[in-house]
Amino acid sequence: MRRGLKTTLVMLTGAALTLSAGACGGKKATTGGDSGEGAKKTVKVGLAYDIGGRGDKSFNDAAFAGLDRVKQNLNLEIKDIEATKNETDNDKIQRLDLLAKSGYNPVIAVGFAYAGALGKVAPKHPNTKFGIVDDGSVEGPNVTNLLFAEEQGSYLVGAAAAQKSESGKIGFIGGVDTPLIKKFEAGYVAGAKKAKPDIKIDVKYISRGTDFSGFTDPAKGKTIAQGQYDGGADVIYHAAGLSGLGLFQAAAAEKKFAIGVDSDQYQNAEADQKPYIITSMLKRVDTAVYNFVEDTNKGTVKAGPVIFDLKNQGIDYSKANTEAIAGLQAKMDEYKQEIIDGKITVPTK
Amino acid sequence: MKTLRTSPLALTVIAAVIALVFSVIITSVVLSISGFNPPSVFQAMIDFGLEPDSVVNTLNRSSTYYLAAIAVAIGFRMNLFNIGVDGQYRLGAMLAAAVGGAFALPPVIHQVVIILVAMAVGGMWAGIAGLLKVTRGVSEVISTIMLNFIATGIVAFLLHEDRLATQVAGSNNIGTEPIASSGRVPGIPYPGAGLEIYGLVLLAVAVGVGFHVMINRTRFGFDLRATGLSSSAAVAGGVDARRMVVAAMLISGMAAGLIGMPQLLGSSYSYGLDFPGGLGFIGIGIALLGRNNPVGIAFAALLWAFLDQSSQILEFNEIPKEIVAITQAAVLLSVVVVYEIVRRLGLRWQQQAVAAELAAGSAKRSKEVAA
Amino acid sequence: MSTTERPKVAEPAFELHGITKRFPGVVANHDIDLRVTVGTVHAVVGENGAGKSTLMKILYGMLRPDEGTIRVGGERVAFGSPADAIARGIGMVHQHFMLADNLTVLENVVLGAEKLHGIGGKARRRIEELAKKYGLQVEPGRLVEDLGVGDRQRVEILKVLYRGARILILDEPTAVLVPQEVEELFENLRELKREGLTVIFISHKLDEVLSVADEISVIRRGTTVSKCLDPGEVTARELAQLMVGSELPVPELRESTVTDRPALKLTSLTVRDESGRAVVDDVSLTIHHGEILGIAGVEGNGQAELVEAVMGMRSPDSGSIVLDGQDIGAWPTRRRRESGIGFIPEDRHRHGLLLESSLWENRILGHQTERPNAKGFWIDRSGARADTRRIVDEYDVRTPGIDVSAASLSGGNQQKLIVGREMSGKPKLLIASHPTRGVDVGAQAAIWDHLRRARAEGLAVLLISADLDELIGMSDSLRVILRGRLVAEADPAAVTPEQLGSAMTGASSEGER
Repeated sequence: MRRGLKTTLVMLTGAALTLSAGACGGKKATTGGDSGEGAKKTVKVGLAYDIGGRGDKSFNDAAFAGLDRVKQNLNLEIKDIEATKNETDNDKIQRLDLLAKSGYNPVIAVGFAYAGALGKVAPKHPNTKFGIVDDGSVEGPNVTNLLFAEEQGSYLVGAAAAQKSESGKIGFIGGVDTPLIKKFEAGYVAGAKKAKPDIKIDVKYISRGTDFSGFTDPAKGKTIAQGQYDGGADVIYHAAGLSGLGLFQAAAAEKKFAIGVDSDQYQNAEADQKPYIITSMLKRVDTAVYNFVEDTNKGTVKAGPVIFDLKNQGIDYSKANTEAIAGLQAKMDEYKQEIIDGKITVPTK
Repeated sequence: MKTLRTSPLALTVIAAVIALVFSVIITSVVLSISGFNPPSVFQAMIDFGLEPDSVVNTLNRSSTYYLAAIAVAIGFRMNLFNIGVDGQYRLGAMLAAAVGGAFALPPVIHQVVIILVAMAVGGMWAGIAGLLKVTRGVSEVISTIMLNFIATGIVAFLLHEDRLATQVAGSNNIGTEPIASSGRVPGIPYPGAGLEIYGLVLLAVAVGVGFHVMINRTRFGFDLRATGLSSSAAVAGGVDARRMVVAAMLISGMAAGLIGMPQLLGSSYSYGLDFPGGLGFIGIGIALLGRNNPVGIAFAALLWAFLDQSSQILEFNEIPKEIVAITQAAVLLSVVVVYEIVRRLGLRWQQQAVAAELAAGSAKRSKEVAA
Repeated sequence: MSTTERPKVAEPAFELHGITKRFPGVVANHDIDLRVTVGTVHAVVGENGAGKSTLMKILYGMLRPDEGTIRVGGERVAFGSPADAIARGIGMVHQHFMLADNLTVLENVVLGAEKLHGIGGKARRRIEELAKKYGLQVEPGRLVEDLGVGDRQRVEILKVLYRGARILILDEPTAVLVPQEVEELFENLRELKREGLTVIFISHKLDEVLSVADEISVIRRGTTVSKCLDPGEVTARELAQLMVGSELPVPELRESTVTDRPALKLTSLTVRDESGRAVVDDVSLTIHHGEILGIAGVEGNGQAELVEAVMGMRSPDSGSIVLDGQDIGAWPTRRRRESGIGFIPEDRHRHGLLLESSLWENRILGHQTERPNAKGFWIDRSGARADTRRIVDEYDVRTPGIDVSAASLSGGNQQKLIVGREMSGKPKLLIASHPTRGVDVGAQAAIWDHLRRARAEGLAVLLISADLDELIGMSDSLRVILRGRLVAEADPAAVTPEQLGSAMTGASSEGER
């Protein structure tokens, strides 16, 4: 219990740091000019999380990292609110409505679960800009859909895994078998097969359907990882949020390899686990949030889908573990360029 | 005579008030320790909780809580602990949503079919636990917990594009085919609110009335209560205990199947990944708080929903909303203790009052004899 | 605590003078005087509701008197709680045992009194010492759930002695005991008396009172009507008249109403327990309309199982049960009850009442499907309530109303309610287990009257009782049950309680078939 809490805190602060650091090297150098302007207007930015909220190591945390950077760099007032357990669309409606009514603009909804609610709230507040992460179904003149091509990044780490594997077998651990996580799986499988057509891939999900515990159960993550390693896999990629920490524990214990997700998990892993984390698939929710706020602030924000992919570096992979990734990068970068050029189309299912 | 009858009810109300006051005190202490000013926090909660949208949300939420608690209470009235209300609810809601989305039927018939499917599925699922108890002596506590897991698995299996679910274009959500407008239940507008009260809040009211009538006015309800009060006396009185177990589980499961209906037919129209779970467990607490009494449960469900609802403003003021979980836990804990004390006191007072009246009566009689 | 000096014989253990207790608007006790001598067994007798319990609660510190004085050992005292009473050496053994089944005798005794001798070897030695001194033989290490009723009672007495009591109040101690156990209890009481302890014995079983008490006080309507009677100088009949102020009822049947129409016919009925042992073994008997058939036997010899088999609460392994020519062996309990079987259970709290429910709801119990309680699918509340009022009137159930809970009535009144309920709707057959147990003499007479009247109208009764006078007096024919078998038949007109008693223990083979 205590150890879990400690790790959580370490991970949390670590994640925030790396994400900010990573973004500095990113694109959009026009940040500085706007921050003064934003401060004068006292723009208030609101953000509503999905269930789990801050501290989930997944995109809720990444979203917060982006928001935090908004506060630091743009000097805006921010407010983030979590969801309650067992809540319904009406609760989400009220939450978004409350933010909009209280003068928060823009308002960002994190997670596809907000789709229905946003569809009802956005028309009521035409002057408020809304952003929604991971959903493309809501449309409106004041709604921006922040979407990610997770399959592209997964494709690259799949290629890395297949190359790294000596046994000819690799693993994938998904948190819950939602369509979103299936996208990770599809890209990963395709990338691995591209790099090594005869590769075998062991795919497992921690929980299924409406049981979302698979995103928050490191113990089960570890058990499943152990099982995949025992079954002959020597590289495992996870898309399981907090449960992924179990994968890293198992990797260190078995001295086999793992691949992280969303943020650069090499940076905030425990020292004994670091050597085994080859790379991470980076999903820059922080960038998405930051850019959306910045654009809104400048008045350049556009309604409709904004897709973050390899091309605009909203999706990428981490090169932090130089030792482990040595020799894999050539092919990864080759595929990356081909995807950007449209020569490879990565499946999403 | 009148005092004898009314005092237990008065005691119950007093007990609930004591529990509430106690929990407010505990919450205040926690708030003070955390560096917040309790009165202003409560004020903020009440102000927010009384906003029109909040009232609507509270009513909607309490309707599902109410149904969940009634489902649990039906079991409790017979000393059956149906922990599986949650699984019965989820399975019932999912299959009902799937059936409702698959066919377009004329209005009214469409809604009725969906509701009946939910009841049938929930009842069947709970009935399994009842049958296992009667035929194999399996404790319903164990079997319903197990059935919860199985229900989770079945829902996960069926909620798949190849089976009962479809993915909304552009969305990462997955759910059953949306129910056509003929199967939806219109909301009830509330002055000043942007949201609408679920039409099926009235269903919850009807279920409450039905529960009351069944328990207090029917032979079946008498048998149910008798079994709960003393199963040995009920058996001696000709109640078929095995049949009652199965029947009570069936009815409890049917009520559980209804839990998802207000939301399904009033707002989401589809069972998707974002459909709320865990309501069955909340129902256990609310049934306890409401003493398994339909009116008591109504107040308990409203209180619970109000606390859940008003807690949303806390985060807005940088106060952790877990504070409300402390309040809820304190209410439950103290109410259990206070009710038990009150029950014993009530019984003792009644015995004394009866003895006193009898003594008065015999004194009068002896005077008459003397005269 | 281990005072060994013998007190002087005439010294009062305690004295009550002018005790008056008012409950709002009424007087439960008034001007009660009681003087109890050290080293005696002092019986306090009175009808149910006469004020015995209130008086004892005052003495034990559970209630405070409004007027009057209590002196213990000559010193005036005022008890605020039972703890004060215990500190003065007064202990109470309640009618319903207050023991934890899943603890051992030792643990039960020391529970709440751990300060005295700890919970280990010292406590065990103290208990063994007490047990030996007063002849209360129980093994400290046994689990209470394994003990019989008599042993449990001894544990209760040990509990009180362990806390240092010199004055013991026993509230209706024989109500739960069979005759043999009663004799053992009395032996224990005599032992306590010899050791200089004082025993207050509350009862309305006059024969027992006469056999064990040194002095008797009678309470009627809240006040002492006779003080310190010498049991050698009064008869049971005189005592009873003092108690009720009227004639003592006698269990007797005037003329035979037995018909030749069989109501219940059991043939080779056998019931086995889980281990396969026959607890009811090849029982055959016939009860005719208008006949009361009594079953005599020491408790635990298959009576309960026999009754449960006839009621359908337990399925027999072989044999047939025929009611009015119809084989009812496969019928569920409800159908049997609907077809005219009434049932007065042995344990009214377990099988006869919903204690927390109102009287009118208890009227419905067991007759849920019958008029006036139900109309088809619905419960007929007004019908049930009206009929409950009838029962309360006809059977003299002392209650302020029909909305009070059954638990708030005294045991005797609860029993009257049950009898009234089971006699409603003209049953064909009544299964009556201990119909007058725990009931005061007035109510006993009324119940007997009702039985006689119904019998004259053709009711068949299977009567099971531990009260041999009742069995002999009320039965048209008698059977003796021993280890599940009907071992003897007796003629109620000729047999004496002594003969019946020895047949019950298997000592005599008189009348064996």
